[in-house]
Amino acid sequence: MFEFLFKYPLSIYRQGTFIFLAGWPLWLMGLGVLAAAGVLGFLIWRQSSGSTRMGVARRSSVWILQTALAALLLFLLWHPALSVSALKPQQNIVAVVIDDSTSMTTNDENSTRKEAAEKVLNGGLLKALQERFQVRLYKMSDHAERIDKLEQLTAGATATHIGETLKQVAADASSLPIGAMILLSDGADNTGGVDLETLSEIRRQRIPVHTIGLGRETMSHDIEISNVDVAARALPESRLGATVSFHQHGYTGQKAKITLKEGSKVVVSQDVTLKAEGTEQVETVLFNAGDAGVKTIEAAIEPFPNEENLRNNRVTRLVNVDPRKPRILYLEGEPRWEFKFLKRAVEDDKTLDVATILRTAPNKLYRQGVCRPGDTAHPQVNGKCNEMEDGFPSKIEDLFAFDGLIFGSVDAPYLTKNQQDMIKQFVDRRGGGVLFLGGKDSLSDGGWAKSAAADILPTTLPERKNTYSFVGADVELTPAGQDSLITRIEEDPAKNVERWKKLPYIRTFQDPGDPKLGAVVLANFIPHEGGGVKRPLLVTMNYGRGRSAIFATGGSWRWQMLQPLADMSHEMFYRQLLRWVVSDTPRHITGSTPKSLLADESHVKLRAEVRDKTYLPASDAIVEAHITGEGTQQETVNMIPEPLEQGVYGADWTAPQAGSYIVEVVAKRGAEEIGRDTFTFRREDGIAENFHVEQNRELLEKLSSETGGSYYKPADAQKLGKDINYSQAGITVRETRDLWDMPAIFLLFLGIRAAEWLLRRRWGVI
Amino acid sequence: MRLRAAVFLILGGLGTWGILHAQKPFISYESTEEHAEAALPPDWERDAEWTRGRLKYTSSTFEHPLPNNTGRYGWRTDYPLGDRHTLQGLLRLTRVDAKSVEQVVELDNSSDIYNWPFVYGVEVGHWSLNDEEADQMRDYLLRGGFFMTDDFHGTQEWDVFMEGMRKVFPRRPVTDIDNKDEIFHVLYDIDQRSRIPGAQFIYSGIPWEFDGFEPKFRGIYDDKGRIMVGICHNVDMGDAIEWSDDPRYPENYASLAYRVSANYVMYDLTH
Repeated sequence: MFEFLFKYPLSIYRQGTFIFLAGWPLWLMGLGVLAAAGVLGFLIWRQSSGSTRMGVARRSSVWILQTALAALLLFLLWHPALSVSALKPQQNIVAVVIDDSTSMTTNDENSTRKEAAEKVLNGGLLKALQERFQVRLYKMSDHAERIDKLEQLTAGATATHIGETLKQVAADASSLPIGAMILLSDGADNTGGVDLETLSEIRRQRIPVHTIGLGRETMSHDIEISNVDVAARALPESRLGATVSFHQHGYTGQKAKITLKEGSKVVVSQDVTLKAEGTEQVETVLFNAGDAGVKTIEAAIEPFPNEENLRNNRVTRLVNVDPRKPRILYLEGEPRWEFKFLKRAVEDDKTLDVATILRTAPNKLYRQGVCRPGDTAHPQVNGKCNEMEDGFPSKIEDLFAFDGLIFGSVDAPYLTKNQQDMIKQFVDRRGGGVLFLGGKDSLSDGGWAKSAAADILPTTLPERKNTYSFVGADVELTPAGQDSLITRIEEDPAKNVERWKKLPYIRTFQDPGDPKLGAVVLANFIPHEGGGVKRPLLVTMNYGRGRSAIFATGGSWRWQMLQPLADMSHEMFYRQLLRWVVSDTPRHITGSTPKSLLADESHVKLRAEVRDKTYLPASDAIVEAHITGEGTQQETVNMIPEPLEQGVYGADWTAPQAGSYIVEVVAKRGAEEIGRDTFTFRREDGIAENFHVEQNRELLEKLSSETGGSYYKPADAQKLGKDINYSQAGITVRETRDLWDMPAIFLLFLGIRAAEWLLRRRWGVI
Repeated sequence: MRLRAAVFLILGGLGTWGILHAQKPFISYESTEEHAEAALPPDWERDAEWTRGRLKYTSSTFEHPLPNNTGRYGWRTDYPLGDRHTLQGLLRLTRVDAKSVEQVVELDNSSDIYNWPFVYGVEVGHWSLNDEEADQMRDYLLRGGFFMTDDFHGTQEWDVFMEGMRKVFPRRPVTDIDNKDEIFHVLYDIDQRSRIPGAQFIYSGIPWEFDGFEPKFRGIYDDKGRIMVGICHNVDMGDAIEWSDDPRYPENYASLAYRVSANYVMYDLTH
């Protein structure tokens, strides 16, 4: 329709420049329009002055229409045209890039995409191109490869990197007159899209990329897992949540089963109801991390019988279950039941090591969990243990040896200002976790609001005292608490909410104040007296490199004593809370990689963050990565400091083959080892093309529009034979295309006259 | 006067019971002691983190007579001064935020006893437990409760005590607590433990009762090796503490009693 009205396709208007061929100045046209308007106005006014039917408004309408007509005539008199750059025949190259990845074997409407591409090219397009241009054929995978004929297409490439391919072809253009590119693809790029750098380069060379989209834009019956998020590291036997994102077509309202497997063993499975078609659905599946080691977890959705693509129903992730045993220091200011039962709740958790200092009498401390067997830093001497015999550590390196801290009913002035500041640094710099419990000497009542550690608290403490109360209170999860793994004492979320409602009331509570920005309230307490106003009970917050929490009660021990012996609610809660406190606490060296799974790619970026004894960034370390893969020899790679990040080191490496790789990063300063860390990644081949199999029309349209090209469906692809003539790349000639004889102008002319006639008829002046 | 006070306290306590749900209010019972009247401390209503429970049980054969001979209640031996002095001692010597009055608890199949994870039982050589009470005692201890016994002497009273205890734990052994056990060192180092006689020593000069010549500190342990029943046999710490402000009662016995009691409380709160 556009071409019918405007004589030329839209692509020419996009490419071309609008000009007037008459050569007269434009201001003269403007003057002419004004003069015409003046004369017409005078004539219309004089003619209609005696008529009662032609009021001011009507005369004005007629005047406007006649002026428009005059302007149109003047416009035509100036000879409007379009100046376009056209490719010179036989002097330009057109690069035809055909997707050769395995997604092109997908069957759509009784033919594969590869067959559809061949049909488009052999159906006249290639011939039309070859008549006017030199045609270079390329097949696209993760790079561009020149081919001589279509028979060389295999649809066997395991990855699609559109950006990389076009970049290569554009690089050819620097030495060859490439006038345009045609990309036949389903747009299923494995890198997430075409990067700006590539687009800029193509735009710089003014090469239009015309895209022909192959394949269906949506599948009719398919479930695809988009992503699986799971912690890359975990403590042994900890509960983890795998967040599975997926979308589906054709199965709305039906039940699907999500399964997590480790090897061939099913770890957990969960039934979900499928939501609306096309929408991204997110479900969290809980599972136990198990014992220490590298775990390869496969998340899968059981396929339906008529599913069109079965290869996108499973995704693999690695979890490094770290054998380390984080150490927590619990300082309690008074002997009380919460202290007793908290220790009992976590004593069977083999992954947590809790040392305690209890103020038993005004000048007496009782230490437990110190001078452990095998602790060479704190050996027992003549049966005596001197670890923390003077109480809470006063040296930063002694405090930083812990991964987490708990403060019971301890008033801030009991600690020196230096110790309070160390607590803040423990969270901010060390990356440790701190938990504050309620108590008569805790929080506001303990003077913590004015302490040097106040910043790390997740709430703004009330200014008043007497915030600790012995009135009983019920507990209720907030929406955030319903999703949190800290408060998950029942697997099923709905049952968990009900379980919390049935917990025995807590015997004491403390008003912790209002949560700070960024803090998350997981549970509230509702006092039995005083109007039952809800206040935060469990609040968490990330601060600096670490995290802090307040559990504003000293009376949760009733969850143990007032429930049957077999009930493990109290134990589960405290174990999960303490694990949260310490599981993300880093060590002196933390190794990582942006992607733990390389899908059909081999390049991996290694990263190590190195901190010294007091957890200050160590920029002068020698850092090496020792990489061992399945069936490969160990390789050592030197890591170099990242220029903009203090204490951070990086290295690039290529994984030679598919399989799992273990990286041990070691940092040294001279002869002294600062620390080491181990992490894993995995390379898998032949999986990238299984996902996003639908045509990514959005990407293809964007690519073409950003480069001055056009998007075509296969049925319209033959038009490309003509449209491709217009380009600013390659060897071109400037052509002029008349616009005065556009049907649109004729219709406009008729329209203006018809409008005036109709109005006059309506007013009865004709 | 005492009866009126008791009735008033009972009614006042029950009035708040509805708010506290399963936790019963403080009730003051009549004492069976001929000792000076124990007035309620001025801060008896102050809420505190820790409260000592006193076990009220059914007596088997022996009961202390009331001054007016209206009844015999073994569980009230040394009540309430023994409790009040013990609590004063804890408040003075430790950082335990102890309530200044005791809480009388029963094995009545209600959930109340579970609100008081430390329970003291006196004169258990004259107690009796039926099967339901024994079941609840077992459940209470395994959930994390601690039971301290005191003031029962000689072989016969031991047998009566064990008759009840064997209903609670038929197979768990009762062992002498080793000197090295933390219960004797958690707060005070109490390696040397002499006899702690009852108040009768003031009159008789005999530091033992019946054939209970040697003080025995025994325990029943849980599966993690923690004492959950601290059995103090052939000693009378209740009397020693109750009479600690009487100049006739030897100070060394009273001091030892305070220290042992404090150690037992501290041990429970740290294990």
